[in-house]
Amino acid sequence: MSGPNGMLYGGDEIGALVFDPGHHSLRVGYAQEDTPKADIPAVVGVGPATHIPDAEEKVPDGNITQSGTKAGNELRHYIDVTELHVPRPGMEVQTYMKDGQVDNWDLFEKMLDYCYAKVIRSPSEHHPALFTEAVWTTRPAREKLAELLFEKYQAPAFFLVKNAVLAAFANGKSTALVVDAGASQTSAVPVIDGYALVSAAVRSPVGGDHLAAQAKTMLTNMHIQMLPIYSIQSKEVIRERERARYTLKTLPAGLTHSWQQYMLKRQYEDFCHCVAQVSESAYDERTAVLVPGVHYEFPGGYHQDFGPERFKLTECLFEQTLGAPHLVTSAVSACDADARVALWGSIVMCGGVAGASGWAERVGRELANRAPSSHRLKTHAPPAPLERRFAAWIGGSILASIGSFQQMWISSQEYDEGGKGQLERKCP
Amino acid sequence: MADILDILDIEHPGAGEISRDSIIHGDKIKKKYITAKSVKRPEGMHREVFALLYNDSNKDLPPLLPTDSGKAYKQTKAKLGMRKARKWTWAPFNNPARKDNAVFHHWKRASDEAKEYPFAQFNKQVSIPSYTESEYNQYLKSEDWSQAETDHLMDMCQRFDLRFIVIHDRWDRAAFRDRSIEDLKERYYGICATLSKVKTNPWSNTVTTVNGEKRIYHYDAEHEKKRKEQLKRLFDRTQDQIDEEQMLLTELKKIEARKRERERKTQDLQKLISRADSGNMPVTNTVPNNTEATHTPSNVSTNNIVRRHDRKLHKKKLSTQQRPVRTMETVTVEWSGIKFPEARSTGVWLRSQRMKLPPGVGQRKTKAIEQELRLMNIDIAPTPTEAICKHFNELRSDLALALDLKNALAACEFDLQALRHQYEALNPGKTLPIPASLCNTTDGETKPMGEIIDVVGSPSALNSTI
Ligand SMILES: Nc1ncnc2c1ncn2[C@@H]1O[C@H](COP(=O)(O)OP(=O)(O)OP(=O)(O)O)[C@@H](O)[C@H]1O
Ligand SMILES: [Mg+2]
Repeated sequence: MSGPNGMLYGGDEIGALVFDPGHHSLRVGYAQEDTPKADIPAVVGVGPATHIPDAEEKVPDGNITQSGTKAGNELRHYIDVTELHVPRPGMEVQTYMKDGQVDNWDLFEKMLDYCYAKVIRSPSEHHPALFTEAVWTTRPAREKLAELLFEKYQAPAFFLVKNAVLAAFANGKSTALVVDAGASQTSAVPVIDGYALVSAAVRSPVGGDHLAAQAKTMLTNMHIQMLPIYSIQSKEVIRERERARYTLKTLPAGLTHSWQQYMLKRQYEDFCHCVAQVSESAYDERTAVLVPGVHYEFPGGYHQDFGPERFKLTECLFEQTLGAPHLVTSAVSACDADARVALWGSIVMCGGVAGASGWAERVGRELANRAPSSHRLKTHAPPAPLERRFAAWIGGSILASIGSFQQMWISSQEYDEGGKGQLERKCP
Repeated sequence: MADILDILDIEHPGAGEISRDSIIHGDKIKKKYITAKSVKRPEGMHREVFALLYNDSNKDLPPLLPTDSGKAYKQTKAKLGMRKARKWTWAPFNNPARKDNAVFHHWKRASDEAKEYPFAQFNKQVSIPSYTESEYNQYLKSEDWSQAETDHLMDMCQRFDLRFIVIHDRWDRAAFRDRSIEDLKERYYGICATLSKVKTNPWSNTVTTVNGEKRIYHYDAEHEKKRKEQLKRLFDRTQDQIDEEQMLLTELKKIEARKRERERKTQDLQKLISRADSGNMPVTNTVPNNTEATHTPSNVSTNNIVRRHDRKLHKKKLSTQQRPVRTMETVTVEWSGIKFPEARSTGVWLRSQRMKLPPGVGQRKTKAIEQELRLMNIDIAPTPTEAICKHFNELRSDLALALDLKNALAACEFDLQALRHQYEALNPGKTLPIPASLCNTTDGETKPMGEIIDVVGSPSALNSTI
């Protein structure tokens, strides 16, 4: 922090952790690092503990947390891909998120247990914890989180910041209009001097999940079957568009519907990530045909080129009143006239879907058409898609390691004295 | 060639010959070839297999032991840090910016003595006025605001450091009615003003003392509201409106350019006329020319404004056309030599600066003036005393005017003579008597044509001076 010649640098690391819970994944890691240590799917597999291979039983670790002691009906929680993506009879996949905030606290606790035990590998009472939250997080949910961290995990300090604010920080802005295209929703939140304007924020339920659902419909209409990857024993090399030849694996009986759906959704997402492309302007068959296609091979071995479909697929993200450009315009026009110039001048784009190729360019273009011409329009998006997806986490990492931020934490002492009621005051 | 032989490990024939290389490295080369030759690929062994055992030449083999026996590197040991590595410890620290004495840990040099947390100095807070219950009742009571609401406002101002946009956003709409930012600001600054009148204030942001006199910031909510309204209207313009405005602006620019052009031409005309007045130049010849030039129809715009403007200009032109008739009697020379710029008011400057001809005076004229001065035996750059400056400038101005008039006169003479010749050519045998009043030549006699041209230069040169 302070250099040899008395210079004062901006950073001071105090071993803080940053958690960024989302509908798609939970990002967790140490503050002051540039990427999260782990990016864990935001679901928990809950299943009977009966069918566990021996090898895993020898190492009882944080991966598999046990609840209940009776051997008969004990439940296990399977977290993170290595545990979760294994076919297990009776394992239900449940999410703890709902409407942008944590909803199932028991499951979320399991997730935090896992984070501390397997990702951080250090006792929770040593690390101040900074959490991100969606702008709409309700007061009970915020207070519950503080309570959990202080009372169960004995965190020395805790802080909550709106993810839009952090995404702006990650882009070096304290005033910005943050467009976050996540899994469950797309939102536009004005941020002024590091404070999110809650009443001006807007959102639409169009996001990565919607895109994946759209991909599913599209593939069904094209009569392409998405076989679950875990069910394939082997496949033959075939020519393009030829009928797939494969042998199926014998799977354990009793795989739950929720788990199968979850696995399939991941595959549709993968398809989207590889194939989907956002066209420069509204979909136009003639220009879309000119762009070379992208080859994709499905788990069963079937493969083909996808041409104009790639562009058609993403049009669902730009529907008139649901798309990001519309959200931005309505969020800005809900702001005070004095703030608008600054907001148009720094539009920050983040979230997983913002990493889709062409997305940022398309939004920039549509905004240029919508922004009042008296304003200078400037959009910011980190060049790497991963940096866009992790923008909120990175912002948290920056914030938690700034020297002058260290006075902001709600310490355990303060919590003991003031209770969770002070959360509204301390973490605006 | 030798390189290829080297690569193929064939001893090249020139090895034995004396060359610069063989003198310098002679012994080494020989040695190399001896060793290289000594390991020969056994018969029947694949080249690839042999290559694993023996490299092409031994020099490529990495040494098994450090073979650096020279002193070169040992003498100057690379020292990156002059000091010993200093220890860092994970140490607890206290942040004076916090009120709760919470202890956090960070890395710090073990040798550094514990001092105040350096980042605490950035803990800055705005000072917000405070009031007691009785003060409120005495001074701050308002019809519009309850005390609870006022308290809430002051609390928000403290929490959000007077960021009224954020305060407005987080305003407790459940407990109090929705208010505009201007309302909030008006109330806050009103309180500040009232309180700073009645008590000495610890907050300084709304009161400034100018020359020992207190000035209280007054927030004009009405004006702000109007300003915002205008701002909003500006932002909410449709593309059509913006396009229209843009179009009008470019039209305006065009009109102004045209206007300037016309004014320039009118001025030229004016000059010509005044010169003609003094020199009895036939005006009618040139004026129609000029009007024709200015008359180029406004082909681009169909705008009413442009038309109206044109009409106005026409009127102006007409008046200038009538001018010669009027000025025939009263000869007023409007154009008067050189206009020297006024003395600049700021900064130090040399008086000789004042004698500089303004940049508008062309090279030709400068030369002519200097020529005249030389004829008059006057220094071109006299000592610039106040009086000399004045007189010198006046003289030159007059000279310039005289020159111009002379030119104009010559041109008129030329025209007159030309017309006379024309007349004589058309009516053979007749001569055109030119009245003496028109023959304004100084000595009264008509000079031959060639001489006139000599003095004036060519008529085109005359045009360029106009
Ligand atoms: N390259 C890509 N192209 C298209 N979609 C992508 C790409 N990369 C990630 N996504 C999608 O982005 C979503 C994840 O984004 P992100 O991590 O921002 O969501 P989240 O923060 O977990 O969810 P939320 O913000 O809704 O709570 C997923 O739906 C994923 O499919
Ligand atoms: Mg998100």
